[in-house]
Amino acid sequence: MIKLVNVSKAYLKNVKILQDINLYIEAGEFVSLVGQSGSGKTSLVKILIGEEKVSDGRVIIGDWDITKISRKEVPYLRRQIGVIFQDFKLLPQKTLWENVAFALEVCGQPQGKINKVVSSVMRLVGLEDKKDRYPHEVSGGEQQRAAIARALVHQPKILLADEPTGNLDSINANEIVDLLIRINNFGTTVILVTHNREIVNHLKKRVIAIDKGRVVSDQEKGKYLL
Amino acid sequence: MFLSLIRIIKFSLQDISRNVWLTIATVTILVLALLSVNTLLTVDVLSRHAIDAVKEKIDISLYLKADASEEQVTSLKTEISQMSKVKQVMYTSKADALRSFRETNADNPEVLAALRELGRNPLSPSLIIVPNNVEEAPQLINEVKQIDSDIIESRDFTDNTLILDKINDITKKISEVGLFIICIFLFTSMLVAYNSIKVAIYTHRREIEIMRLVGASNSFIYLPFVLSAVIYAFLSVMLIIILFYPFLGILQPYLEVFFMDYNINIIDYFLNNFIIIFGLQFLVVSIISVLSSWLAIRRYAKV
Repeated sequence: MIKLVNVSKAYLKNVKILQDINLYIEAGEFVSLVGQSGSGKTSLVKILIGEEKVSDGRVIIGDWDITKISRKEVPYLRRQIGVIFQDFKLLPQKTLWENVAFALEVCGQPQGKINKVVSSVMRLVGLEDKKDRYPHEVSGGEQQRAAIARALVHQPKILLADEPTGNLDSINANEIVDLLIRINNFGTTVILVTHNREIVNHLKKRVIAIDKGRVVSDQEKGKYLL
Repeated sequence: MFLSLIRIIKFSLQDISRNVWLTIATVTILVLALLSVNTLLTVDVLSRHAIDAVKEKIDISLYLKADASEEQVTSLKTEISQMSKVKQVMYTSKADALRSFRETNADNPEVLAALRELGRNPLSPSLIIVPNNVEEAPQLINEVKQIDSDIIESRDFTDNTLILDKINDITKKISEVGLFIICIFLFTSMLVAYNSIKVAIYTHRREIEIMRLVGASNSFIYLPFVLSAVIYAFLSVMLIIILFYPFLGILQPYLEVFFMDYNINIIDYFLNNFIIIFGLQFLVVSIISVLSSWLAIRRYAKV
């Protein structure tokens, strides 16, 4: 469950990026967060992963109030929320397998468990035969699938996808969206941040539209309206 | 804890081996910085040896009357030897002085002819006094001047005092200038090392950001880079040892010729002080590398 209560964010005095955001996302939901560039989507993502703090309001994830999360607690939050980005953010000097395993290694998980979990997520995203390749040796779609695999290793309750198809062609983009739907079917809450109208309309899931830092529409089985 | 340590070492070694060119570039810069420090150290050691060699040549000659008996000379020699500022006293008889004079002027037939013409030994016997410390030579001269003995022919040391003052002045200035140059070199080398490590970390800024995003704790972000910095320091000191000893081997024969009659072995100096010289260099380079890594990572590892 994600709850945002009267959330506002201002970088400068009187320049509010987000204003009075009130949202409630149920566990296991698939939500598309849409809006034009500069609407405040990315700021909202940054708040949810603890990269930014709110100026006003409260942010609750599960039973954890992260409104005033300390720097020390941020790594623990990030182990509970899987995040994928438009530019994949894979470590270039590590193979796909190592990139995925790294997220578990930094938490001190035993090697046996890492091997088991990584094998399973690599199979889920269809990369088991390319696990020893470096990011620059595979396609953009495959890099994004590796990033999804990495986001899934902690078995997060929430998967936050920030423009995951932004750098992909339509075939790869559809494959990634299908993968996100499969992950959602396992019970993971998926928040898809995008401005891809086609994908949002095809999904027929809840759509939250943001414009100028405010929620302007929130529809079950909605469409891209902006 | 043990598992984390193993992983930190693994990440560090992976980083070094998979970024070979960056490793080579960083270590090369550190080696160049260390090369300049060691070259300067060599120059400093040689200049100190040169000063010591000059100082060792400094002695005070006390000329005695030609008719002084052996007993009188021995008694005076004993008296001077007992002075606290005296290292050694050597007696040169008239005959020894003449022999030495002839040897010195062997290539000067006119001087030798004049000596033959004279028909007798005009030289005085003397006591050569070597001071313990060249800085104390002026005081020693004063003490020698106070000696009450009839067999002393000449007590005029004005020239010696002037020369000694000059030598002391020059050696002091050389030491001061040397120290100043060493400080500048050290500072420059430290700055170079600091910047090269910062550049190495700069190339990793994206990785640091990704580590943060996947939930890596501070220790997992910082320690592999810090360990890499220590490994860079270790590699650079090892390389400088491998490079510098052959260089000293080439230098040694030239030094032996230059410092004739004076025992100097620069290789022995570096071997005898191996732990202090290279241990200290490893320590300093490690501290600089770790510090610069820490500061650079801090900049990129902000949440």
